[in-house]
Amino acid sequence: MPASYLGEFEQVVLLAVLRLGDDAYGVPIRKEIEKRAGRHVTVGALYATLDRLESKGLIHSWFADPTPQRGGRSKRYFKLQPKGVQALSELRDMFNRMWQGVRLKGESDA
Amino acid sequence: MPERPPQLAERLLRWLVGGRDADAVAGDLREAYDERGGGTLWYWRQAVSCAAVRRSPHRRMLPGLGQDFHYALRILRRNPGYAFTAMVCLALAMGVNTALFSFLDSLYFRRLPLPESDRLFQVIRQNTPLCSWREYLDFRDHLRSFQAAASVSAGTYVDIDRQTVNLGFEVVSANYARVLRLGTTLGRWFVPEEDSPASEPAVVISHHLWTTRFHADSSVPGKQIRIHDVTYRIVGVAPAGFVGDRPPIAQDLWFTEATLEPGFGGRDPAGPRVSLIARLAPGATFENAAAEVSVIDAALRASDPKDPRAFDPAVVEPASGFLWVSGRRYMKPVAMLMSVVCGMVLLIACVNVANLLLSRAAVRGREIAVRQSLGASRFRLFRQAFIEGLVLAAGGVALGVLAGCWIGRLLESVLPTFTATAYAGLRFELDWRVALFVCAAGAASAVLFSLPGALKSGRRDLGLALKESDARQRPRQREWYSLAQVALSLTLLIATSLLLRALAREQSIDPGVATDHRLYVNLWASPEFFRPEESERLFTSLLQQARELPGVRDATLASSIIGSEVTKACASSSPEGKSQNLLSSVVEPNFFEMLRVPIVRGRAFGPSGALGEPPGVIVNETMARTWWPGEDPLGKPLWMGCQPASKKLGTVIGVARDGKYQDLDEAARPFLYLSRRQDSGTGFFELIVQTEGDPDQWSKALLAVAQSGGPKLHIFETRSLDDALAFQLRELRWRAGLAAGLGLLAVVLAAIGLYGVVAYTVSQRTREIGMRMALGATAGDVQWLVLGRGLRITAAGIGAGLLLSAVAMRWLRSYLYGLSPFDPVAFAAASLAWMAIAMLASWQPARRATRVDPLTALKYE
Repeated sequence: MPASYLGEFEQVVLLAVLRLGDDAYGVPIRKEIEKRAGRHVTVGALYATLDRLESKGLIHSWFADPTPQRGGRSKRYFKLQPKGVQALSELRDMFNRMWQGVRLKGESDA
Repeated sequence: MPERPPQLAERLLRWLVGGRDADAVAGDLREAYDERGGGTLWYWRQAVSCAAVRRSPHRRMLPGLGQDFHYALRILRRNPGYAFTAMVCLALAMGVNTALFSFLDSLYFRRLPLPESDRLFQVIRQNTPLCSWREYLDFRDHLRSFQAAASVSAGTYVDIDRQTVNLGFEVVSANYARVLRLGTTLGRWFVPEEDSPASEPAVVISHHLWTTRFHADSSVPGKQIRIHDVTYRIVGVAPAGFVGDRPPIAQDLWFTEATLEPGFGGRDPAGPRVSLIARLAPGATFENAAAEVSVIDAALRASDPKDPRAFDPAVVEPASGFLWVSGRRYMKPVAMLMSVVCGMVLLIACVNVANLLLSRAAVRGREIAVRQSLGASRFRLFRQAFIEGLVLAAGGVALGVLAGCWIGRLLESVLPTFTATAYAGLRFELDWRVALFVCAAGAASAVLFSLPGALKSGRRDLGLALKESDARQRPRQREWYSLAQVALSLTLLIATSLLLRALAREQSIDPGVATDHRLYVNLWASPEFFRPEESERLFTSLLQQARELPGVRDATLASSIIGSEVTKACASSSPEGKSQNLLSSVVEPNFFEMLRVPIVRGRAFGPSGALGEPPGVIVNETMARTWWPGEDPLGKPLWMGCQPASKKLGTVIGVARDGKYQDLDEAARPFLYLSRRQDSGTGFFELIVQTEGDPDQWSKALLAVAQSGGPKLHIFETRSLDDALAFQLRELRWRAGLAAGLGLLAVVLAAIGLYGVVAYTVSQRTREIGMRMALGATAGDVQWLVLGRGLRITAAGIGAGLLLSAVAMRWLRSYLYGLSPFDPVAFAAASLAWMAIAMLASWQPARRATRVDPLTALKYE
């Protein structure tokens, strides 16, 4: 069982942060989600979720020094915490267990 | 394509997100905006979506709140002295404010203890009675939007078990209990038939009367009592807590109009003048009722153009607070005075706590600076200070409610001596409104007194605070607080000393008669039952019996005595001259000797005389001086009587020393005495005895003598003359007591504040003091250094307080019984008292300063 319940969008965001590694800040995270999940996300919804994940202790964030691009504004970077990694792996295991031996109509056994 | 994203949207974004995050989000959006090559609408949508960020419960205000509380509690636990002082200051101030609000609540807001009392209202006029009983009967059965019961209250003497007691009663319509939805403790309320004169006189008694006079006897319904020569049967006992529909006047009896005997307005064919207590009909509103009342009122007032009601329209008032118009009017200045004084006490207490918090903030300056440099936002520090204030306030509120209960109980126990039973409805008990008020006051004061410290913590110069030890920061702000406290509490102290001076002045007034060891009983032989000769015989016999009581030195009779009843009379110095109103007393010849009223000229009354012969008159000095200026009053004729036809000729035979006749603070006024041998008076006499010991021990024996006068002789109060005079001073005494209590509280609070300031200064200047001592300063020099600081603040505070008082004391004028509101003695005494208190408050810190060891002090850092 995951330590805390994770919503579907929270999982998506966590996975995006995980995939991006050291380059996880607002713009790439949104692009990643658009590219892989095919979902358009508003910046407000994204940051609200990121804040929530941070308050749960699954990710942590820091501000990078401002750069001349983006009008001299700093970037807020995100990184998975061990707790976040554990939550994702527990979720994956749970889904795997649930899928084991289950077949949907029209699908063949793997 | 615009080069920059829309500025307004960006500003909205910053406002919605806030802080450093806003920067990062704006940066992200800018990057995406540039990438996608513009899109104003898109940008706006993104900016608005940030409302989700703002609403997110995981952001902003809340995180760390529990931590702040925890931290505040830990600080208070580590500094119990500081926490305790602050809480006690607040609790005391809130305690008096709780008591005050209980008082205001019963004055303005408290509803009658009846079901659905929010639908009850009264219909009254400001200055005249609403309508007559007959008029009420005319419209009672046609009312649509409300049901109305008529009532009128009065006081009377009622005989219960051969003793006459003074009780409040209410004459009501038989539907009274139905309209009010009243239950009973025992028996029943009136039935509709009891509105008819044919029914047997029935009375309902109050729970209070039942427990005090009938010892809560359950067989009371069915018993009979005599009210003014009509025998009533008790049919029920009202529920506990119900004291009638005119709080704070407590009623003890209710009976119906039909059984009202002539003499209480029953002689008037229209019946007594009544007002209405009414309940809204189901579905009706106050507007409906007011509209209906105005229609009825128009009809009432149209009947007679000369009617005084023409200028005094009927009004509909919700039944809350004092339902007694003149009572509310009378209490208003007292309520105002109390509100101002209690507000001042609360303010002083808040300033005190703010001062304490400030000194804590100063002590913790470095800690705060460190926290700030580690990234704590100003908001966070502000919140920390605010929460500390809130925790203090919570403690203060809890203690304050306890203190409020206690102060309320104290006031309730004091009240009966200040107001007669009439104010029994005045309550100081706590209820949810009062509790709510205290919590609100607590929260408000938390804001008030945590603000200065909090603002300061937000405005600190980091570098300076980290480097220095705070010693060179002069605590200016705290001195101002202390100064304000001294000024405010001095104002209260001056008010107290003015009231106390007025009280002392009143108490030292010579009433002109000897009052010690003298006891009287008021008697009335009504002319309805006693002819003048019978009355004369009866009182002579009672006088003789009283003289024969063991331990009684002498007894006398007088129709007037200060502190009790005073007889009015008219007289003129010529047969045609206009009669002047004055006060008089018909006395037994030994009156002057027994009450030590010296006859300064002429002679006292002789032991003989006959009713009807031309009376000898003794006048007082003022009358002799003003009626016959420059002449010898002895032998002058005097025509007595208010009607020209009934004038009687008398002769002045003596002049008695001036005294007080009605009130202790009255100016010298003309007064005349007549002998009981020659004038039977109105049948009203005080039988006065002079006893050997404590006069109260003879009250039972004197009452027994009075009761031997038969059932038709009315017996009123039995009381010592000393008590009667003390009763005259009750209101002044109560006000002075209240002011003294609050003034003392304010001074204690301000002294704590001053002590805090001076002690803090000493602790901050330890190094400087040590250096001075190392350089050769004596203990005396150091003490003066510290004392001087306290005294300078006090002197400035006293100056401000004197100015404030000079403006404020004018409002006290009506309470001072002639003493000037700028009485220099009171002003000087209060100022000197404060100076002494300031010396005391500064003394301890000054002594501590002399014990500073120079070596330790120099190392102190």
